[in-house]
Amino acid sequence: MTYEEVGLTAEEFTHICDQMGRVPNDLELGLFGVLWSEHCSYKSSKNLLAWLPHDGPAVVQGPGENAGVVQLDDKVHVAFKVESHNHPSYVEPVQGAATGVGGILRDIVAMGARPVALADSLRFGTDDPSQHLQHAVVEGVGAYGNAIGIPTVTGEVGYGAVYDKNPLVNVMAVGLLPAQRKISARGARPGSYLLLVGQPTGRDGIHGASLLASQDFGEGTEHMRPTVQVGDPFMGKLLMEATLAAVETGLLDAVQDLGAAGLTSAIAELVYRSQVGAQVWLDDVPCREPHMTPYEIMLSETQERMLLIVAPHHLEAIEAIMNHWELPHRVIGEVTEEPLLVIGTRDNPRQAVLPPEILAGACPLKPVPANGRDKGRQLVPSMPAFKPLTLEREWGLNVLGAPECKSRAPIYQRYDSMILTNTVWGPDHPLAVLRVKDSTAGLAIAVRGPGRYAALDPYSGGMAAVARVISLLATQGAQPLGLTDGINAGNPDREDVFQDLMALLAGIADASQALGVPVTGGNVSLHNETSGHPIWPTAVIGAVGRHSCPLEPVPDAPMAAGMDILWVGPEDLGLGGSIFESLYSPRLTPYPRANLTQLAEVLAWVTSLARTAPGIALRTIEEGGLFVAMSRAFIKAPEKLGITVKADDPVVEWLFSEAVGQFLIFSTPESTARLLEESPKSVTVRVVGQTTLDGALQFRAHKTLHYSREELERTFAQGYRG
Amino acid sequence: MRVGVISFPGSNCDDDTLNALAALGVEGVPLWYQQTELPPVDRLILPGGFSYGDYLRSGALAAQAPIMASVEQAIATQAMPVLGICNGFQILCERGLLPGALRPNVSGEFLCTWETLRVVSVPQGFVGLKTGDLLRMPIAHHEGAFAVEPGFLSTLFDQGQVFLQYSDPDGQVHALTNPNGSVANIAGISQGSVTGLMPHPERAMAQYLGSVDGRRFLKAWLGEEDQ
Repeated sequence: MTYEEVGLTAEEFTHICDQMGRVPNDLELGLFGVLWSEHCSYKSSKNLLAWLPHDGPAVVQGPGENAGVVQLDDKVHVAFKVESHNHPSYVEPVQGAATGVGGILRDIVAMGARPVALADSLRFGTDDPSQHLQHAVVEGVGAYGNAIGIPTVTGEVGYGAVYDKNPLVNVMAVGLLPAQRKISARGARPGSYLLLVGQPTGRDGIHGASLLASQDFGEGTEHMRPTVQVGDPFMGKLLMEATLAAVETGLLDAVQDLGAAGLTSAIAELVYRSQVGAQVWLDDVPCREPHMTPYEIMLSETQERMLLIVAPHHLEAIEAIMNHWELPHRVIGEVTEEPLLVIGTRDNPRQAVLPPEILAGACPLKPVPANGRDKGRQLVPSMPAFKPLTLEREWGLNVLGAPECKSRAPIYQRYDSMILTNTVWGPDHPLAVLRVKDSTAGLAIAVRGPGRYAALDPYSGGMAAVARVISLLATQGAQPLGLTDGINAGNPDREDVFQDLMALLAGIADASQALGVPVTGGNVSLHNETSGHPIWPTAVIGAVGRHSCPLEPVPDAPMAAGMDILWVGPEDLGLGGSIFESLYSPRLTPYPRANLTQLAEVLAWVTSLARTAPGIALRTIEEGGLFVAMSRAFIKAPEKLGITVKADDPVVEWLFSEAVGQFLIFSTPESTARLLEESPKSVTVRVVGQTTLDGALQFRAHKTLHYSREELERTFAQGYRG
Repeated sequence: MRVGVISFPGSNCDDDTLNALAALGVEGVPLWYQQTELPPVDRLILPGGFSYGDYLRSGALAAQAPIMASVEQAIATQAMPVLGICNGFQILCERGLLPGALRPNVSGEFLCTWETLRVVSVPQGFVGLKTGDLLRMPIAHHEGAFAVEPGFLSTLFDQGQVFLQYSDPDGQVHALTNPNGSVANIAGISQGSVTGLMPHPERAMAQYLGSVDGRRFLKAWLGEEDQ
């Protein structure tokens, strides 16, 4: 076997030989190949991720573990993370998406947390095959989440021709654990057993991480189909229950789930983090097929497997739990004092002998230029702004009916959003609000990944992705506890793609720093390009916030006639990156850059309003701009209510700009005066309209645009057909 | 009052059901499918979920589980009140304890929505429900299209076995209010002391979760007048 065959470069191979002091044998080389793949090593992104703030008052566990953990209150902690399954979902959409859900749920379980929620962020192309792909991906997400019994409580979807052959499937999972529970991949002690639990190991998913997810697509991906794993949510449910029951006993040293690169990654990470070694007996690994080679056993990505580390005198108790759940399980090795990972059979015990600190800790990282972070900030593309001079009634309907703006019900109704009975606000709201049964506090969960905003100015897009989720939390007065980042981009070996990636990360880092919210972990998916066409750099950001009144969310629509409507927003309202622009402009222009200092003040004020102002409703302005936000608030309001708005100049920008930091506030006239008085000086707030009893939505500009409830409801539900 | 809640491998609404019972001040007794004898319980619930991953056919494998023989016997000898919710309903049909079968939704897709249910005939033992009452409860299933053999539908209606129909918010039952392709919009049926329904009462226990009608439903099944 050569280093190229396992996906390594000549430099990396030399580095391995230098570090080892010898040439690795074939099995060892194969293990290096997967662990030093982009997917497992983060070699191109790790130095960029170091820019992100990781510390905060609520952070219990930052990046580097299976998931981040933050503190909800004294008794309850929250584990959460986003993960992508982009490449597998293109090759085999149902199973690719399903195993993505299974994988992120196992990450949460490996932290000793019981999953309580899923959120999906999907990107599809605009061609015909993309519609079939979407149908199958949604089927896959639902098939796993519904069957294992974890609700999909919120999500988002977006479209662009750049995703035609590179759909994005990012799923975030959130779990809860008691504050005193401490289980991770760090506690393995010498003498303890490696207990492999779950599905017997098969020949599925070999090279899933190293070849499928770490290379670009070219002509024909058919031959890659066998590299996609097959999910079994039934086994996943048993494994989840059994693992959580085992963790609850307090008898385990450590837990590590098996995901990308299977046993290789699980054992290497475990012994590396625990600073121990291990002897693995391949003849004891339960296999689905006879005659599997050591290489196949170590690289298989068979799903629904978990590695439990248990001291010999506790083995019986743990095995009893596995027997109750009827899960196959077997001791496949033991933890050793000497930090060496030794893999073999009883006949030939030392077929691979590798120091974990080289295997899991010595992959050379792509260097980042010293001015890398600044460079992203400075790269402001200059293009003439799109400024339409007329205003047509039809524009509003066309924007509201656009795939990004219209109702997501055809997707989220295929997901169980209510199981576990915590969902106070589900997917028909812009963010989810969940009660937590063991706490008076609840969870606010939001996910956004505005790829179009990053298309021309990735720095601006990165900032916006963070700003969008924090804005959503602000409308509920929720305290952001942490963020998880799902980075999706093209081939990092291309200079232009890497520049974009740097700018994107700089934007995320600057925004999360300015807004004071730590990033506690996430996922990087690179090589999202087919035949040399990369996707827009797409940062999917998930946020978890502490909601102090989860049973009474702040309404997102007006409740009565006679309420004032206030608009909050920045002075610069460009149409760059907006849905309106994508429909009516011959070309895309850069997304308006946020002023982070001002944004932080707006968010602080909106958060305090949501917590203290009585009888208000709040909504952020997102895709489709003010027009869509107002329409959605109108559709949600009681049937007889109307809304009349006096449009500001420049009207089209004001109606359709998607610049972050824009909010709608619905307040009673009694509170409006105080609200305006108490608003910070740097924040622009204007009364722009009132709720009425005429049952229609009207915008008054130089002409009046009049929309009936029926046509807005129909357009929102079914799209606009002209 | 002690209510047994039977978990099969893959059941996933068992905890929600136990929580709902606790909220009503009723003792819920978790039962595992391998038990061959029932402990002393007054009633039984087969909760929702994906027993055996819905492999083969929803409910088909769980219907043959060891505990089901004792369930069958308790129904035959003591007229034990048994409630099947969603997958529990499918299991009861597969076991032959309720008539008919549940086929894949006509859309071919899983569906999770809020529905209005109209009471057609009140099953034996229910207290405080009457014909024409409306209940708002969610559904979440892939196989919920109730079907019966040709010619059997009128018998079901005549014998008062049709319990719930999907309706509009005003109680009108028509094709547009049929979410899944069930024959005659049927959402729930009964036979003697056995009742099955696709909607999830255990998810409609509080206004902040969308409805309190599940509370009303479960109290009616428990034989308690709702206050």
